[in-house]
Amino acid sequence: MQYHRQIAAIEVIGLEREFKGAIKAVDGIDLEVARGEVFGFLGPNGAGKTTTVRMLVTLLRPTGGHARVAGFDVADQPAEVRRRIGVALQDAALDPLMTGSELIELQATLHGIAPRSVRARGAELIERVGLSRAAGRRVGTYSGGMRRRLDLAMALIHEPEVLFLDEPTTGLDPTSRLTLWDEVRRLRDEGTTVFLTTQYLEEADQLADRLGIIAAGRIVAGGTPAALKAEVGSPHLDLVLADRADLERAREVVAAFGDHRPASDGCHLSVGLAHGAADIAPILRALDDAGFGVAELELKQPTLDDVFLAKTGEHLEGAAESEPEAAPELV
Amino acid sequence: MRAASVALARRALRNSLRRPQFLAPLVLFPTLFLAVNVGGLEQTTSLEGFPRVDGFLDFQLAAAITQSLLLGGVSAGIAAALDIEGGFFDRLVACPTPRLAIVLGRVLAASVIAALQVVYFLVVGMIFGASIQGGVVGVLSVLAIGIVAGTGFGALGVMIALRARSASTVQGIFPLVFVILFVSSAFFPANLLSSPADVVAAYNPLSYIAEGMRQPIAFGNALRPLLEGLAAAAAVALAATGLAVLSLRGRLRQA
Amino acid sequence: MRDDLRTIGALMRRGLNEILRVPAGAIPGVLAPTIFMLGLSAAFAEAARLPGFSADDFRTFIVPVGMLQGAGFTGAATGINLARDIEQGWFDRLMLAPAKRPVLLAGVVGSACLRCLLPASFLLIVAFGLGVSWPGVGALALAALLIMGLAAAAACYATVLALRFRTQQAAPLMQVGTFVAVLFTTAYVPRELLADWLRAIADVNPVTHVLEGVRQGFVGDVTWAATWPALLALAGLVAVFGALAVRGMRRQGF
Repeated sequence: MQYHRQIAAIEVIGLEREFKGAIKAVDGIDLEVARGEVFGFLGPNGAGKTTTVRMLVTLLRPTGGHARVAGFDVADQPAEVRRRIGVALQDAALDPLMTGSELIELQATLHGIAPRSVRARGAELIERVGLSRAAGRRVGTYSGGMRRRLDLAMALIHEPEVLFLDEPTTGLDPTSRLTLWDEVRRLRDEGTTVFLTTQYLEEADQLADRLGIIAAGRIVAGGTPAALKAEVGSPHLDLVLADRADLERAREVVAAFGDHRPASDGCHLSVGLAHGAADIAPILRALDDAGFGVAELELKQPTLDDVFLAKTGEHLEGAAESEPEAAPELV
Repeated sequence: MRAASVALARRALRNSLRRPQFLAPLVLFPTLFLAVNVGGLEQTTSLEGFPRVDGFLDFQLAAAITQSLLLGGVSAGIAAALDIEGGFFDRLVACPTPRLAIVLGRVLAASVIAALQVVYFLVVGMIFGASIQGGVVGVLSVLAIGIVAGTGFGALGVMIALRARSASTVQGIFPLVFVILFVSSAFFPANLLSSPADVVAAYNPLSYIAEGMRQPIAFGNALRPLLEGLAAAAAVALAATGLAVLSLRGRLRQA
Repeated sequence: MRDDLRTIGALMRRGLNEILRVPAGAIPGVLAPTIFMLGLSAAFAEAARLPGFSADDFRTFIVPVGMLQGAGFTGAATGINLARDIEQGWFDRLMLAPAKRPVLLAGVVGSACLRCLLPASFLLIVAFGLGVSWPGVGALALAALLIMGLAAAAACYATVLALRFRTQQAAPLMQVGTFVAVLFTTAYVPRELLADWLRAIADVNPVTHVLEGVRQGFVGDVTWAATWPALLALAGLVAVFGALAVRGMRRQGF
């Protein structure tokens, strides 16, 4: 038993999934998630996140590599894996004709638990996701946020060791998003392992202990959010000039202080600061000496988008447009 | 007005032809039903009072065509209801498109599909041994009645869609198609129908449509059944188109 | 084992929701076989006058066909609903359950067995009202058992198609299959009066035995000789399509 505790919650080696037409949605990924950890799986639409999750939860058979979840192989011992995982998939597919509490009961039954024995836990979960008043109503009348919350409660009814959340907040309003974040934090505090996919940087930053960044079916970076950001280096300074007539010359002036970077939207210049905030005053002085007025300035800490940009040459938001959605079509 | 109707008919037709999986059931079910009727009831042609025919297939072919055309009407209705559900319809109404053109677009598409349905059944019938007594003139008569009737059934479907506004409700009228057809002389000679079906059949336009098409197939050309068939089909077409335009007006007023 | 039964029960209850909670949606399916029976008997009543016809009354002869048709369409509807569940992602939830796949299939199919009793009951009430003679409780119980079996077989068949095509657009395929299976039998007339080609099909169509098993009580007495072929045919149909459906479920995601 002691040994069992120590092995990783999720262990993935060289996992691959090839769809019809030799499209590799997932192209040999490795990752390991420790017990009790919240692992963020970050990537744009179509990067292979959902395909990976579907393989890990036994809904899709890998075409290459291995994956063990809660100590069992997803391909060879799917029933054992299913017993130990909770899953809330992207569309939160719920039967609109059933009520919230009926669905909780059905979910318990599907996991081989007598609904009577989990009645208290069901009620507690419903309470916890804030659906007590709606529990007797048909799901057809629920809002998108309520559905996601019910889906989460259902995924937890059999006390899973590992919880998979596939883009839990996509399409939700900001309030519902915050509620779900709180719930994930609470689950982490209780020691549940959470595998969370998201296309939102902020979400990954807020929730994940560790991250894997996936692009075009491959993991391009991994580590804690802080380490990943540190890896791409120093903060940078965004500048808006009073007069943008001679932008080229202004670039030359600031180039002496750090790497020039592609300017983000709405600013004229962006420069990496090798010595952090200490560089700001000399830069402003140099610009002033050269006759440039500065209208606005902003010091920016590195973000996960910088990580993504550094690893793939693209910004995360909007990177999706160029790639087709890796729909989980079956071969 | 004409340009708009034709453009809308083209679109409706293209949508139907691009999704053969929706078109196929229109001929598939009547074909299977025709097969089982002929195979099961072949011997009934020997019943006393049954008109002299070469075979039960000759007799049943017109029934299959009528049934297929009715299903075509249901399918035109479903397509129109999907347009309403999907919002395409609102866009049309928001354009300066004449109201009649909106209805006629669908209905004209139904008449083109009706011609295809008639040709399909005549070909299938001939492959399996039916003969068309009326020759080329007979084929043209069947086509004429079939196209007018298909137009009318299409208009009926559109009218129901305009009132129901939901594809599943239009789908729900499917069983009614059978009711109306069974209480006509489409499947069996009028004089051999049991009461009260025989009474209803005498007033059922489907009886005249089916018999109008049956005459040139099974018996040879004759003016009276042809005219009766055309008249019944035209009456259905005019009445249904009128009602469809009226319910469109009603819909607009509510909106 | 108890867990399995509970799972089957819960899934069957969910299947019944479609009828219990949206009764309006169930109306066409409930009415259709009755309408079909009434229509056929209105149009073809005179066929009973053919020499060699084994019932006095065409309507009595055709009532069992309507019952089978209701079962067939209920089975097809189960497949259509499953295809919808696949489209909407609910099926994923089912597949994520650790329960054995045959147990999940039994839950899906089981509701069809219960649901098919509804169109059949409605049909019988109308038929008895119109003067079809009472076949006796034993014959009716046998008929109920047989149509439940046919509904299960049809549901397994439709499930195979739903798992294969994963879209509700496969609905006509599911319906045509059951339509052909029920009508390409001795549906309209006794075997001897069928056209040669249809007799050949009816002879190899297992549903013919099921139909004759249901019909025997309506046109005469129930005998073991007409009952065992019906049971055997159903056992075969359920075994074959059930196995294919379970295989289809196991292959999901492969």
